[in-house]
Amino acid sequence: MDFRIIKTVIGREYATRVKKKSFLVTTFIVPVLFAAMMVVIFLIMGNTKERKQNVAVIDQSGIVLSHFSDTDRLTFEDFSFANPDSVKTHLADYGKDVLVVISPLDTAAKSVSVSAYSTSPVGVEFSSRVASCVDDAVEEYRVRQYGIDNLTQIMEDVRSDVSVKEYTIGEDGKESISESGIYMLVSMLLGIVIWMFIMMFGSQVMSSVIEEKNSRVVEVLISSVKAVDLMFGKIIGVALVALTQFLLWIVLTVVLTSAASAIMGKDVLSKFSSDPDVVAQTMGVSPSQLESMGIQPGTLELADSTAAADAAAMAQAQEGELSMILGTLANIPWTRLIISFLIYFILGYLLYASLYAAIGSAVENVGDAQQLQLPVTIPLMVAYFIILMAFQNPDSGIVVWGSMIPFTSPIVMLARIPYGVPFWQLSVSIALLFITFIGCAWVSAKIYKAGILVFGKKSTFKDIWKWLRMK
Amino acid sequence: MSNIIECRNVCKYFGEKTALDSVSIDVPEGKIFGLLGPNGAGKTTLIRIINRISIPNSGEVFFNGHQITQSDVEKIGYLPEERGLYRKMEVGDQAMYLAQLKGMSAADAKAALKEWFIRFGIQDWWKKKVEELSKGMAQKVQFITTVVHKPSLMILDEPFSGFDPVNAELIRKEILRLKEEGSTIILSTHNMESVEELCDNIALINKSRLVITGGVNQIRHDLGNNNIELVYTSESAVESAEGLFDVLSDENNAGRHTAVLSLKEGTSSNDALSALLTTGVSINSFKELIPRMNDIFIKLVTEEA
Repeated sequence: MDFRIIKTVIGREYATRVKKKSFLVTTFIVPVLFAAMMVVIFLIMGNTKERKQNVAVIDQSGIVLSHFSDTDRLTFEDFSFANPDSVKTHLADYGKDVLVVISPLDTAAKSVSVSAYSTSPVGVEFSSRVASCVDDAVEEYRVRQYGIDNLTQIMEDVRSDVSVKEYTIGEDGKESISESGIYMLVSMLLGIVIWMFIMMFGSQVMSSVIEEKNSRVVEVLISSVKAVDLMFGKIIGVALVALTQFLLWIVLTVVLTSAASAIMGKDVLSKFSSDPDVVAQTMGVSPSQLESMGIQPGTLELADSTAAADAAAMAQAQEGELSMILGTLANIPWTRLIISFLIYFILGYLLYASLYAAIGSAVENVGDAQQLQLPVTIPLMVAYFIILMAFQNPDSGIVVWGSMIPFTSPIVMLARIPYGVPFWQLSVSIALLFITFIGCAWVSAKIYKAGILVFGKKSTFKDIWKWLRMK
Repeated sequence: MSNIIECRNVCKYFGEKTALDSVSIDVPEGKIFGLLGPNGAGKTTLIRIINRISIPNSGEVFFNGHQITQSDVEKIGYLPEERGLYRKMEVGDQAMYLAQLKGMSAADAKAALKEWFIRFGIQDWWKKKVEELSKGMAQKVQFITTVVHKPSLMILDEPFSGFDPVNAELIRKEILRLKEEGSTIILSTHNMESVEELCDNIALINKSRLVITGGVNQIRHDLGNNNIELVYTSESAVESAEGLFDVLSDENNAGRHTAVLSLKEGTSSNDALSALLTTGVSINSFKELIPRMNDIFIKLVTEEA
């Protein structure tokens, strides 16, 4: 290895990319775009909330109607006088969206059956609301059949409304309030961000190898640089571009949020429930916390605001709700997270980038790479599906195995980390990943050395196998 | 005179296929060395081995007397047959990059490149992107990047292809100037006229084997068929002399004949001449016919087949 030459290669790979317009655009537009996207999401959410469904109810049982009460989105009206068939066909004329028909009481089964008619799908919220109202009515009817005195009073007493507060027990035995939703969001973010970055920058290495081969500049290059040096120079150069982009995103977001907080004033949190837009800009994490997260802040901003949106949706959210979210965020092991993110990103990227480089060396244009790419894209897809599972059940077997097996571990482990991972699992996973990287780099270098000199034919897996066995 | 490159029994196989079969050549320092051969003969493979782009399966390559190492490639400049530059990169940046890969410092590279750009009259291309250049323009840039680090050995594969006659002449002069300055040049080309004009020595490779190597003049003499062009004046044509020579052709232009004689094995020109004198024809000229490189190439390559 000639480090002076590798440095020259890294320098070119880095400079040409960072100078590109597309790099500047992504770096500066992405955080702004995320902000804009959030505004759009809020607008859409706001609009859908406004739209109410008008429901006509024909209650032939006589026991249910009193249990229907209007909500934000549903207005019920008694249509029991009308003929179901004629209402059904003239829903719009009556100014109704849905017709609910409750059958006459079946005294043997002590139950009713319910049918809903509408011109467009009614949605889950509607069905669950109607179902729970009807359930209440039927329950009450059945209880009444026992003929107990003071029933209403008893029912009032019996009815309960328990909410679950979750605590996570730390290693020091300290209990802290947690909110599994927040963990899920952070985990989802980390998994997807690292997946995206490995994919994006890995395939950048591939297309850059293909470009050199396609333009034939590679023959001049390897008359000065050893093929392996060229390959690693390229991989490291692109990695530095990725890290630069991270850093700029963090700085940019910190600057944006600080500016926003300064404009909005300190007491912005107290306006929390009244204005979702204010929440969007300032919610959740303070700039210093954001900085300490050290991860792609553009996306993070989205997550925070999604969390905020969730909270905002609980319209009259108490201050306690918010402090719980903040408490959960503060409770996440950020330092460990950042270090793990960097380790897994770097190792995962190196592993995949070296494979992508080998694939790139075997073809002359991007189209031909499709088939050869499969062995690399399949584990990435598998990892993606495993993280989807990790959000629901971070300790299930497939997730734990996925976080150990090197090809999926960078992505899956990151998704697991917010939930807490035993130290030994982390160490084993990182060690395995590192060993696999060394092996893959060696194999890739061999393929690359032979591949970049083969022109004018579409290489197959058979050719690659041949190159591997070549001395 | 020492050899800058010596290849000893270089063999290269690609799987079952033999690309080079025990090829040995000597490239003398300060000369222009022609590497000839039909397409697919193994020239590019040999060039890549000298460049250390690929490693021979057996045999050795010596550079200035020692076994060639990776650090020697900084003293080699290579212009491959398939030209290529980064399309999206600016000409200046690109030339700087390639020069630095050959071990030049940024400052040296810039100074040397500016000088070459002025010599080729292309100063105002520095900030242009390669994709904005025509093919011929890009070739000029590539030629500069091949020679800018003052390599002691330059390997030029078809250096004239793609150039118009004016620019081809420019390149030809530059090659001769570089030779004057002491560089050695390995020239691989199918253009036999430029071989005759430029090369001091050649090697001809066919079907992975070295067919012939040596000085151009020597080879042309050696491979002459011992043919003589005879111009004489006579009423009748000269006839083949038993055991001495055959008359291959005779062209009569109003009593002035131009004939080609093929001397038999063991016949010297003097023998032939004294035999001719006895026939009483009046001899105007008698000269050895030196074959063109083109004919030698065709003859050697087709004989092999």
